Amino acid sequence: MALSEKEMTLGPKAQETLRHLLRIWLDFERKLISIPILRRLDQRTFTPEDYRTLLLNMRPQVIEGSRWISRAASSFTAEYSDIRSMILRHAVDEHRDYTMLENDFQSIGGKLEDIQSAKRNIGTEALAGYLMNEATKPNPINLLGAMFIIEGLGNKMASSWAVAIQECLSVSEKSTTFLSYHGENDETHMNKLYEMLDGKSIAHESADEIVKTAKVVARLYLLQLEEFDNT
Amino acid sequence: MTELRQAYITASGTYLPGDPVDNANIEAKLGYVHGKPSKLKKRILASNGILTRHYALDDKQRSTHQNRDLAVAATRECLKGSEIDEKSVDLLAVASTQGDLPLPGLASLVQAELAIGPLEIITTHGVCSASMMALKSAFNQLRVGEKKNAIVVASEMASRLLKKSRYEAVSNLRIDLESEFLRWMLSDGAGAFLLQDKPRWRGLSLRIDWIEIVSFASHYDLCMSCGTNNQSLWSKDFEQNQKNFHDFSWQDYTSYADAEANGALLIRQNLKLLEDVVKVGVDGFLKLINDGKIKADEIDHFVCHYSSHHFKGRILELLKLAGALIPEEKWFTNLYTKGNTGCASIFIALDELLKTGSLKIGQTIFCVVPESGRFANAYMKLTVVGGRDSGAF
Repeated sequence: MALSEKEMTLGPKAQETLRHLLRIWLDFERKLISIPILRRLDQRTFTPEDYRTLLLNMRPQVIEGSRWISRAASSFTAEYSDIRSMILRHAVDEHRDYTMLENDFQSIGGKLEDIQSAKRNIGTEALAGYLMNEATKPNPINLLGAMFIIEGLGNKMASSWAVAIQECLSVSEKSTTFLSYHGENDETHMNKLYEMLDGKSIAHESADEIVKTAKVVARLYLLQLEEFDNT
Repeated sequence: MTELRQAYITASGTYLPGDPVDNANIEAKLGYVHGKPSKLKKRILASNGILTRHYALDDKQRSTHQNRDLAVAATRECLKGSEIDEKSVDLLAVASTQGDLPLPGLASLVQAELAIGPLEIITTHGVCSASMMALKSAFNQLRVGEKKNAIVVASEMASRLLKKSRYEAVSNLRIDLESEFLRWMLSDGAGAFLLQDKPRWRGLSLRIDWIEIVSFASHYDLCMSCGTNNQSLWSKDFEQNQKNFHDFSWQDYTSYADAEANGALLIRQNLKLLEDVVKVGVDGFLKLINDGKIKADEIDHFVCHYSSHHFKGRILELLKLAGALIPEEKWFTNLYTKGNTGCASIFIALDELLKTGSLKIGQTIFCVVPESGRFANAYMKLTVVGGRDSGAF
């Protein structure tokens, strides 16, 4: 949810889209509180087992994430080259993220083969299926809505979860490299995204689709968190 | 369906007991707990920015008023500036965080002291938005044409909870930020409005365009409370935490003295959740914009029961980016000089705004009351209208 130091301004239509997105985000954030494992993190009753569960369930989504984002990049035609460039840079930034997850998992006593063989939970199936389907459509501008939710979460995870995990488990930043990394990088990604909302290529209907996609992704992301270990 | 009528705030009044107490004298007024100065006071005062406030206490922490008396004084002040007399009042709505007696409702006591009626009464009880709940009830009665006018008064006497003896009564007292935060935040006072179904004959009135109240109690834990020594017992994980019901509410203890000794009667604020109060408030504001009920750039005066310095960091930048930021110069508050008087604050602020002479016909006033108790937020839009003598009506 971060912004850079420099002043950024948006046109009225992009402002409206952003207001809708912010409300979807705030609703999503409220619902996150009710996810048992995150609630324990909030109440500082989070255990190493909880953290391993979190990492195990995130790896398949991270792997899938790099796939749909690469697919989306290839679905944009030349007139959307600004969005394509952004997405391509993003894909490069994150396509080997899972190695960080694996290292974090091992640093708190998990076995590499366990996390590497972790299956997608049923929420991840739904989320990955939806995103891949959208990414395959021509010029999937609506995926800016998906990125708003996912990057926003990355930013939140780093700002609060990583610190909370370090506190609960008495571990250093070395055990939360994945979460910490996203905090720093997702900030830049978010700012790019706000700029994209103001792009000339975003017509009225696209704005509606961006908002709708953000809603679907927020719901499916929650489903993924609700269905931990349900593979 | 009958056509809805309009309702207007046509007069207002404030009552603040005693002399203003500044930060240098605040602890002498409320008392040094076990004779020792507070270690947290300075930090808390710096964060809330309040410079002076009032207490209905004498120098030995004895009450100088009842809560009822503050409400009555504010009502009389309000009626003094009105174009009706108190015998014409046909609805009395009274809001407070805590009345003088557990029962009956505070409105009964206020009515008796005002010596008005028979008439309909409403008592609302909550925290900061209780006044807006009372106001909305009265507003709607006028709108449907059931009443022609109403007194709505919000009154608080928090000092009873803040005096040193409350803290000294707790055995093995360990004062932490949660139990001391509000001691340096809240103070006493009352504000009253007269609502009428038509504007004043002469002078400015405030038309109430709408009031929206939304509670998120099912999403969040207790953030501010009195009556339990463990706010987490009331959390959403209730069943998980449930051990016994012996010490849930202050009323569950064998004796009230036990409840007090166990710290169940201290007023508490969960500071960890305060950031969420701001977020919920922002969400409600964005909804109002998206629903077309308000535009950020049409607001001439923004009256918020929250200091602007709470809105900082990313959320502020995002609001700006989203075209939903109300510029600092539009904010009006008298929190720093009149104190945070809970649900009375918004009325006391509007009373002062009305009397500053800065309002102009046609201007829009937007009010927000975020209640931290358990996340109940109230929003109101007012329009400044001129007197009927101007021929506009």
